[in-house]
Amino acid sequence: MDLKQILKKNKGAIVKEWFRATIDTYPAQSAKILGKDSNRFDNPVGAATHETIEDVFDLILGDFNQEMLEKALDPVIRIRAVQAFSASEAVSFVFALKEIGEKILDDSVIKKFDKLVDKIALASFNRLMKCKEDIFLLKATESKRRIHRAFERAGLVAELTEEDLLGSKKS
Amino acid sequence: MSDEIKPDELLNKIDYGPTKKSEPASWMDTSTQIRPGMYCYAAKAESVETLSLPNARPWNPLEDDWKLPDNWQEILHQGIKERLEKFRTFKIFMDVCVRCGACADKCHFFLGTGDPKNMPVLRAELLRSVYRNDFTTAGKILQKFPGGQRLNGARPLTLDVLKEWWYYFFQCTECRRCSVFCPYGIDTAEITIMGRELLNLIGLNIDWIATPVSNCFQTGNHLGIQPHAFKDMIDFFVEDIEDVTGVNVEPQMNIKGADILFITPSGDVFADPGTYTCEGYMILFKYLKDKYDLNVTWSTYASEGGNFGFFTSHETMKRLNAKMYAEAKRLGVKWILGGECGHMWRVINQYMDTMNGPADFLEEPVNPITGTKFENSKSTKMVHITEFTADLIKHGKLELDKSRNANRIMTFHDSCNPARGMGLLDEPRYIIENCCDHFYEMPPNTIRELTFCCGSGAGLNAGENIELRMAGGLPRANAVKYVHEKFGVNSLGTICAIDRAALPTLMEYWVPEVEVCGIHELVGNALILPGEKRRTEDLRFEPLPGVEPEEEEDE
Repeated sequence: MDLKQILKKNKGAIVKEWFRATIDTYPAQSAKILGKDSNRFDNPVGAATHETIEDVFDLILGDFNQEMLEKALDPVIRIRAVQAFSASEAVSFVFALKEIGEKILDDSVIKKFDKLVDKIALASFNRLMKCKEDIFLLKATESKRRIHRAFERAGLVAELTEEDLLGSKKS
Repeated sequence: MSDEIKPDELLNKIDYGPTKKSEPASWMDTSTQIRPGMYCYAAKAESVETLSLPNARPWNPLEDDWKLPDNWQEILHQGIKERLEKFRTFKIFMDVCVRCGACADKCHFFLGTGDPKNMPVLRAELLRSVYRNDFTTAGKILQKFPGGQRLNGARPLTLDVLKEWWYYFFQCTECRRCSVFCPYGIDTAEITIMGRELLNLIGLNIDWIATPVSNCFQTGNHLGIQPHAFKDMIDFFVEDIEDVTGVNVEPQMNIKGADILFITPSGDVFADPGTYTCEGYMILFKYLKDKYDLNVTWSTYASEGGNFGFFTSHETMKRLNAKMYAEAKRLGVKWILGGECGHMWRVINQYMDTMNGPADFLEEPVNPITGTKFENSKSTKMVHITEFTADLIKHGKLELDKSRNANRIMTFHDSCNPARGMGLLDEPRYIIENCCDHFYEMPPNTIRELTFCCGSGAGLNAGENIELRMAGGLPRANAVKYVHEKFGVNSLGTICAIDRAALPTLMEYWVPEVEVCGIHELVGNALILPGEKRRTEDLRFEPLPGVEPEEEEDE
């Protein structure tokens, strides 16, 4: 059996363990609640984490590229980017997959699997940076808007529209 | 039976050693790390001085020395004592919690940040643990025995505890979602209110609250806009509305003897997209003047409906609120109409009447056009504009062209205070349904009484705490994302000025395809003004759906 077939066969167990490992990156009292299989609107972090992990896992079973991987990782990284995690803690959950893999995969495929996990890790770093940039851009945009309004009221920016001012946002 | 553990074996398993580092410590043992992105800057000394509040000085939450008065513990002890005697609710909320945990996972800040100290029960426990230690008989006895404090869930008020209070009482938007689930009806918002009052006694406020309060006290509104600039801004809207409708909607300003005084949060006058809602009010009042000769006046003195005093102390809230009644009395109006705002309505509906009332110089509000008695406002004499407009629509008094909002696929975010603080749930929906063709509700556990907060209320809509805001707004954004994906929703309607300021940024992060609008912006677009020209643009100067823009005459 090749690597992807083994992964497919063990999907249920791997996803379950990976989800647990990801939720356990939160403080114990919180992990107890966030790890519950409750309604996705009552527990958005738990639900998004579960869905993302499953989506990413499904993706690596087939053909994929970096862009698809980043998109699939987005919901969970977007959440972790605004929580009390350092950059390394925010993406650490990806590496839990290596430990899970070690338990079920034999030596013939483990290297290949590790490479797959590395790809997920790199995509996570990219996405985390993107989310952090989004946050700082939003912060800058809010300030620019507030200041622009004041200048506009004072009649100082007749020629400069808000679109011009926020142009950097679109690039 | 043979697999059962024998008592000796069980006892052997007990580890008498100290807690290992790898094991989770009790919440009382984890000291607070104040993280940038999660807190708001400290109050400026000049703003604290304006209000004659204690301990005005520059200070920085990230520094070890918070420049507290030497006897800060004594001040807080006295402060707690006074409030326990004065506010029965505070005493009950301190005593009655059984830590059942029903509220634990109901807070948007807990759900978004994953920080256990944001569970409402634990946030309250920050204060309650000190209360148990210093104010209960059991606490006083138990602290004499080794381990007694811990047994009682009590702890002394140390500097670390104080810093924890400050960090977490400013991570609560006083939205009251948790209180809906509490079997005892404990209002955790009131615990935060008390916590913040106590912090103010030693000068620990945040600037996003203190400076607006100071501005409001000195100049009349949170942004510190002087009367002539307020009028200028309204004039600017008059020009914009004339460009769109061809009608001059010049409002009445400071008119004595008008029928109604209108007060709205100043955010509507100065912050997009609230400004379009403000234009909506102006169009409505012009319509009512022309059709029914109703005189609604604005005021440059009562130019702020919001009340950030509410996030400071009850005395400060009272001082800011007083000008509404004072202005209504000066102008001799019959009653007051209030705009789309959030916490303003909790102040009005739950506190105004007993704080500054009774306003017996005003009439019990009746809609002069429909004859409807606004029973909910009988005592406060202040009516919510969505109740007023919904009543006009219900009686067929407004001519509305829904097609002008046909591009908007709406959902509605119940703002915490109107929803949970006064039960205003159906009126805004009724208006949306009469002004728009497409309206879809978010899932039931995220709307009406169970609505999730925007994550920026109660004075937390600053720029520096954006990570807190994005995390706190996650449960709301998550529900918006769902209706966006399922029904193609592109517009999030709301009736709160903070929502209109905070939600656009929240949407940009989580669901960038969704725009935020006020309910009276929809009314302003749909309402057919007497004598108006053929409209081709909406109030945002965007082309109206299905209308070809007029050709430029350049020959």
